[in-house]
Amino acid sequence: MKDLVACPTLVFPTVDDTNTAYRGVIALLIINKAGGLIYNRTFGEGLNQLNSNDYLVLAGTFHGVHAITARLNPLREHQAAHYHAQQQHQHQASGSLGGGGSSGGGGQGGPLPSRPEPPSGLEVMETENFRLQCFNTQTGTKFLLFTDTMQANVDVAMRKVYDLYADYVMKNPFYQLEMPVRCDMFDRKLNSYIREINNSR
Amino acid sequence: MPVQVFSFYIFDRHTECIYSKLWIAPPPPRPLSTVPAHTSNHELSPSPTATALHRQSAPPASTTTSAVGSNNGGGGAYRDSRSAAARAKDDAKLIFGTVFSLRNMVRKLGGDDDAFISYRTAQYKLHYYETPSSLRFAMLTEPGALSMRNVLHQIYINLWVEYVVKNPLSPVEHKNGEGVKNEMFEMGLDKFVRGLM
Repeated sequence: MKDLVACPTLVFPTVDDTNTAYRGVIALLIINKAGGLIYNRTFGEGLNQLNSNDYLVLAGTFHGVHAITARLNPLREHQAAHYHAQQQHQHQASGSLGGGGSSGGGGQGGPLPSRPEPPSGLEVMETENFRLQCFNTQTGTKFLLFTDTMQANVDVAMRKVYDLYADYVMKNPFYQLEMPVRCDMFDRKLNSYIREINNSR
Repeated sequence: MPVQVFSFYIFDRHTECIYSKLWIAPPPPRPLSTVPAHTSNHELSPSPTATALHRQSAPPASTTTSAVGSNNGGGGAYRDSRSAAARAKDDAKLIFGTVFSLRNMVRKLGGDDDAFISYRTAQYKLHYYETPSSLRFAMLTEPGALSMRNVLHQIYINLWVEYVVKNPLSPVEHKNGEGVKNEMFEMGLDKFVRGLM
């Protein structure tokens, strides 16, 4: 789309270093629910190349930081209090109906056993040189997409990457859960998709 | 554009939290069962929000900690057993750890000239600014906020430098926040941040 406008040499005639140029999607990391790095691929220039050990350390560190950021929510007590009040309210409402066991317990068949929104950890991180988008699946697998700071629609790209993961990794009968991803089809599809994004601007 | 600011922290180069301030009202008291000791023991009057918490620096939490009932039966019961001041202190440590790890990660990936600016979760956004002398400023705001880097920079040059660095009575190192909590700085900061909201 927008082939005419997107030619980078026209928009930025004198760009010479990679820091200010469009770099698109730079890298993808997948971290399993235990904090282990299971996939690591670089698509373009823009980040320092680390050795594989450093990447493992990075994945572990990020896993920990993600857990901390999730519980740093400054409004957690407000939300907890709000939730508590709601629970009590529901409890009284259901008590008038059934009047049975008054012992504590989460939602005992009330009309709508609502839960407080689970705290999400770090979702987007911005730095001067790049942007990091993190998508945490329901099972705790984390997808880290490194892009340049101008990249738009990272959510869509993330969604698509997750789709590819579901299709070509999870449906691969030879893939062992939580183990490093070595699936040719996934590599190829991912490469072509990312190239498509990076070339479309 | 008004922006909701939750809290603000300053860390010195020795990783110590030398100043922190909250702009969120204390949470509403729990209904029923949790009435004892939770709200009554604190000298928290509702209006000067949580500034009182930071004043009690040396004796941590002589207030509660003891007989807060566990009759709550679930949920956040364990939280009530520790005073708000101790929790605020823990939060500051966690924030420093987070910011420090992320900063190192960013430097490793983006090169030494790269700088960590902010991160966002669904509930809040943390903005970060570091001076060349390793003084670190962190501010928590609502998640939709735009970049507050210039705000943190303004706080540094207009408040920190003016009222702390140029204060002849303030020490060079601010152990336990000594010299930071002067009236001019506190007032200026409060006024400045409330102007944003």
